[in-house]
Amino acid sequence: MTVRAARRSAKPSESREEIAIQPLPETQLPAIQQNGEPSAASRFRIFIVDSGWNSAARRVLHENFALIRDLQKDDPIYVLSREKSVEFMRRHGSRIGRDPIIAVHDMHALGKGGTVGFHGFRLSLGLLRTPEQALMGLQAFARFLVEHRHSADLEADIRARLRREGFTGAIEIAMHHEAREIGD
Amino acid sequence: MFDRVTEIMSLVLGALALGYLVYEIDRRQRKLHDIWDVLDGEDAIITGTLEDMVKKGELKPYAEAALA
Repeated sequence: MTVRAARRSAKPSESREEIAIQPLPETQLPAIQQNGEPSAASRFRIFIVDSGWNSAARRVLHENFALIRDLQKDDPIYVLSREKSVEFMRRHGSRIGRDPIIAVHDMHALGKGGTVGFHGFRLSLGLLRTPEQALMGLQAFARFLVEHRHSADLEADIRARLRREGFTGAIEIAMHHEAREIGD
Repeated sequence: MFDRVTEIMSLVLGALALGYLVYEIDRRQRKLHDIWDVLDGEDAIITGTLEDMVKKGELKPYAEAALA
């Protein structure tokens, strides 16, 4: 959705100017402490939007959520309720069928530039049709977060990874090895 | 004459193989971008909404061991 389209679809009281957030002061960056509250070490905020489709991706997410949470225990995970997720999908119709969606907000990027430029990434887990694909996607997600939590340029890391994966996958297909095939 | 035909056939097949590889790389990258995507200005409203929910206390860090 473009910014212009998003503006059109937003309610009058939800114009981008009102909702788009400004760079956060360092003091407002999230954190997770022993009591489960955010701590200064956290770089990311993780949001899970799941309206409840009976899908392989949803089952894989539920079965592996505890492990994901343990692996990402430095970062807060926010899970939208089914009601909030459905409301979210009603407002952003282009996302329907892509959930469960895991959105990761990079608080460093948000702190520096707000929502205008790069500020995180999302995994549309619902687009992965088989349990194996969904599990691989979830594992890649967890691996990426752990490996890149101290990255100075997360955007460059993500774009490089996407280029590399696309190239590697195509080579493997050409060589008749489709083990990494995603999403078909 | 036979050598010429073989040469042309090799060139055509090579071009087709290269074209397929380029097409496949492009297709894979589009698919990956669909599944994995960066958040930028186009996602400002969604990001703002989610951050606003945290700020207002409507969303708390999930503390349960399993998803409901």
